[in-house]
Amino acid sequence: MASDTVLQLHGIGLAKSGKRLLEDISFGLERGKFHALLGPNGAGKSSLMKILYRVERAGTGEVMLDGKPLTNWPRTAYAARVGALVQEAVTLSGLSLGEVVRLGMLPLRLSAGEMNDRCGEALELVGLADRIADDAAYLSGGEQQRLFFAQLLALDPDIYLLDEPHNHLDLHYQYVLLNAVKARGKTVLASFHDLTLATRYCDQAFLLNHGRLAAQGALAEVLTTERMAEVYRVDARYSEGIVRIEGALAQSNAN
Amino acid sequence: MEQSSDNHYGLVLAGVGLALALAIAAGVFWGTANLPVDERIKALLRLPDAQRNLELIIWEWRLPRVIAVALVGAALSLAGVIMQALLRNPLADPYLLGLSSGASAAATASIVWLPAVVMTTVGLPLLAFAGAMVAFLVTLGLAFRPGRGMDKLMLILAGIAVSLFFSSVSAFFLHIADPHVTRNALSFLMGSASGTKWSQLWPLAVVVPVACLAVFALSRHLDAVLLGDERAVALGVPLNAMRVGLFSVAALLAGLAVAIAGIVGFVGLVVPHMARLLVGASHRRLVPLAVVLGMIVLVVVDLLCRIVLAPEELPLGVLLALFAAPPFVVILRRVRRGL
Repeated sequence: MASDTVLQLHGIGLAKSGKRLLEDISFGLERGKFHALLGPNGAGKSSLMKILYRVERAGTGEVMLDGKPLTNWPRTAYAARVGALVQEAVTLSGLSLGEVVRLGMLPLRLSAGEMNDRCGEALELVGLADRIADDAAYLSGGEQQRLFFAQLLALDPDIYLLDEPHNHLDLHYQYVLLNAVKARGKTVLASFHDLTLATRYCDQAFLLNHGRLAAQGALAEVLTTERMAEVYRVDARYSEGIVRIEGALAQSNAN
Repeated sequence: MEQSSDNHYGLVLAGVGLALALAIAAGVFWGTANLPVDERIKALLRLPDAQRNLELIIWEWRLPRVIAVALVGAALSLAGVIMQALLRNPLADPYLLGLSSGASAAATASIVWLPAVVMTTVGLPLLAFAGAMVAFLVTLGLAFRPGRGMDKLMLILAGIAVSLFFSSVSAFFLHIADPHVTRNALSFLMGSASGTKWSQLWPLAVVVPVACLAVFALSRHLDAVLLGDERAVALGVPLNAMRVGLFSVAALLAGLAVAIAGIVGFVGLVVPHMARLLVGASHRRLVPLAVVLGMIVLVVVDLLCRIVLAPEELPLGVLLALFAAPPFVVILRRVRRGL
């Protein structure tokens, strides 16, 4: 069991300008499993993701990849193992779709032929293959998100970090792209504020609330009616892989 | 498609290479009376039977001047490429963000106060670099707000404020200096490469090629920054270290350019955008093209400054603004949605 943990978090904490964003978070990602990071807005999902893709440095605690502390990993070697789909608005201009996807393979040393193969295959998966030479400036929000998915699929890291992967995507591509990631059989940690997709894909869930880990385990254990009332402030039931939400709870019940 | 875009890039590079050769030849030979070509070649090659005065004009006046403006053009254009990429701001350039003014204020101060010997050897370039660096840091500091990062418009406004401040510092130094010195220092405010000597060229001649190679070697990392700071870091780019290093390089390029030719505006802003229109934003192609285009633009503009009102000379800044205004308008239209 322990040998199957690829990425381990020990007591991660983060504070920014006096505000505690994360506190004492510990969990492990198991090799080849799909993990969901759940929680309402402001629970700390993105902050935790940022620590894992090294934009933020944990204030306390330690992240271990293959038993070696994150801070001891050279940036490139770490980026080759742990790839991220990042939430960051950007205006792309002057780069072709193919160039963007190839940048995803920056941490790897590949031959030009191998790069082209991976680039074409990844763009095929996200349905943008015929636009490989187009300027990425003219993509819609959803197309841009698909392009960044292609970038990550071309890198094909051991661990996929997906921060709100369904953002900007229409329903069709939410399923197409998460299927594509799942089909790779790699370790995944994906944050969702929407429970529907999480229930469909994840083997394991971590539930954050106010920067703390409220629960972890299989969905049935994590998404109990009491916990969804406390964390999400909704009246909901989870059974047979489906979350049924009856409605919002009044403010007073939440406290 | 990959093949054809490589061919396109090859053609563009060959074209601008040819244009640069023509521009340099024109810069060296234009106005050397109506001498036959072989006389000119002889003088250029310093053959024993060359005309002495022609050889003197070419070797002591024309060549150092043409090489100086070419190096200044390359330096400013490269500084613009660096700043636009790392700030992801299409309007970033050494002039608009105050680096040139900072360098020029430091240069003016050194002309007014430092002994001539110190100044002409190492003092002026070093002080100009320091001035550019200080101005850049102040601009970045003014524009940065903790937690919210760097607003693109704020950065430009901060740059303009810093630029104005250092311009008035320069003006103050000129005002209190004695008139003889003032004449010397005045060229730093308008920009001019006339009278450049070989001995002044070596800092730029060393720094420009090294900086070009360094930036070119980092071209994939710079491309990654175009995707966003967080994406670049997630791809393993050591962003903070790269910023510190390359911003210093940009300040060095801007400072050394000012030490030779004074304030030369708009090159760092306009030329990288011209290059992007031709070959796109990928730095593997952008860096070489922007550097060569920067050389061409300044060699041609300097030549025009020399011949338009001959024998009078115009400062570089006068014609450069005329040249740069139309492309600047085109760029503004293109970048509107990005800012």
